[in-house]
Amino acid sequence: MSILGMPTGMFLVFVATLVAGSLGTAHYVIVHVIMGQPVDETIRGETPSEVGENV
Amino acid sequence: MFSVPLQTGVGEVNPVYLGIFVVYLIAVLAIGGWAYLKTNDVSDYWVYGKELGPTLATWSYVANFVSAVSVIGFVGSVYGGGYSIVTGIVFGLMLGISGLYFVVHKVRELNHITFPDIIAELTGREVARPITGCVLLANAWVYLIMQLVGAGLLVTTITGVPYRYMIWVIGGVFILYTVMGGLVSVAWTDLAQGTLMVATVAVALAYMVFDLGGLTSLNQQFMALNPANVAPLGDGTYTLIGVAASIVAFFGTIFTSQATVVRINATDSIRTAKFHLAAAGFILSVFYVMLVMLGAGTTVALNGAGLAVENVDRAFPVLIMEYVPTTVGTVIIIAIMSGILSTTDTRLHACGVTAAHDLYDYFVDGSADDEQLLLVSRVSTIGFGVVATAAAVNPPGTIISLYNWRAILLTSALLVPVYVALYYRDTSGKAVLASIVLGAVCGPGWNALGEPFGAPAAFVGVGMAILGLVVGRYAWQDTTSASPGATPSDD
Repeated sequence: MSILGMPTGMFLVFVATLVAGSLGTAHYVIVHVIMGQPVDETIRGETPSEVGENV
Repeated sequence: MFSVPLQTGVGEVNPVYLGIFVVYLIAVLAIGGWAYLKTNDVSDYWVYGKELGPTLATWSYVANFVSAVSVIGFVGSVYGGGYSIVTGIVFGLMLGISGLYFVVHKVRELNHITFPDIIAELTGREVARPITGCVLLANAWVYLIMQLVGAGLLVTTITGVPYRYMIWVIGGVFILYTVMGGLVSVAWTDLAQGTLMVATVAVALAYMVFDLGGLTSLNQQFMALNPANVAPLGDGTYTLIGVAASIVAFFGTIFTSQATVVRINATDSIRTAKFHLAAAGFILSVFYVMLVMLGAGTTVALNGAGLAVENVDRAFPVLIMEYVPTTVGTVIIIAIMSGILSTTDTRLHACGVTAAHDLYDYFVDGSADDEQLLLVSRVSTIGFGVVATAAAVNPPGTIISLYNWRAILLTSALLVPVYVALYYRDTSGKAVLASIVLGAVCGPGWNALGEPFGAPAAFVGVGMAILGLVVGRYAWQDTTSASPGATPSDD
């Protein structure tokens, strides 16, 4: 059996690749856009060895 | 690795393509000049003042991701080995982007600049900076060579200017504009190049699909050339264990690239850091599926037209020159150059940041001021760029072979120790360092030995890194590990 001219196994690899790349997208859309859950913005201040001290 | 014969001299100069290329170079130099005026201090140069927004971050990531490997190397790999590259490489890369999305807050919340900053904190040892910096510089430098080889091959083929001259023109222009504007230059040129590239590959694929009678017909013709072309593991290209090792290696590179970590730390918030990976994962997975199908179209078209090539890296340039109409070829060229050069500038920039921030600043004991660091960044960008350009004149391997080598190096050295330590902060700093060194030596070393006993180098490297971490954890369990926010000691 073939789909789009390629064997089913190969077609499934393409589908798996699209799904693998979209896992983060799906999570972001469902959790942070649709459900409206905020992102925890706990970012630490600049550390002593960092550029912030120099600027 | 082996030396690759390159086409060093070609036929007549094509004035149309050469003109387009010259205009393109002038445009990126103009952006570099504008960015120079916008770059006020070393923070702007290194991390865009940590003000990178969602759109710029996303497209900058996409443009950086799609490189000479993607457009020349992947199409060449499909030409030589069929769709198995999707199983062996693309799947692991896409899984890696999504994986990084789920842990990116752990990286951004530390609010550092580079990967060695993070490792120095996790280990509690400043000496982690030069150790990690050397691994990252080796990766960035090999990556630079790959980009320059790809760009040189393409531009030589399409313009007719000999490779040995063109490689220096390309290297020179990109060193110049990266030196001028740092991440400000890189991010804005990436935004333009990324959007252009994705749109253009879609147009090129549409043309090839139409030309070859539809997608189903294209795949049927691809399979008729060789049934292994549409087999998930190819014709012995991959074994199951080989695929698993390759997925691990490429999955790991997403987490361990200095350019990626610098870009994450340049974002204006954790939300932006998450958004840019979420959006880029979707865009890139669609893009790569289109790209490998373009590779299949290229294979069918060249074989059907009697234009078969020996060096697979030349498949796509030959398609543009010999098969498609000049107008379509022009559009494709712009897309490819965008892809290659947007990655080149990012790696050049990463070399400069690593050399100044992780090596120079360590050896002068943090006493360098802003101006010195900016100067060292710029000088080292020029130095690494020139040496990489010289190496690209006679590269040590095909684009894909170089790509595989640095994936093994990065993943073996950094994936396990760094991300385990991010989640288990009581891990001994000495154990983390031992794990990094073991992985960095054993992974590429096993690869250089030809992978004895059929054991993939990525497994050996990652395995030794895990062993180093476990043994070190018990051997040095009394060693003080760094607490969050602690300033690393200087041992």
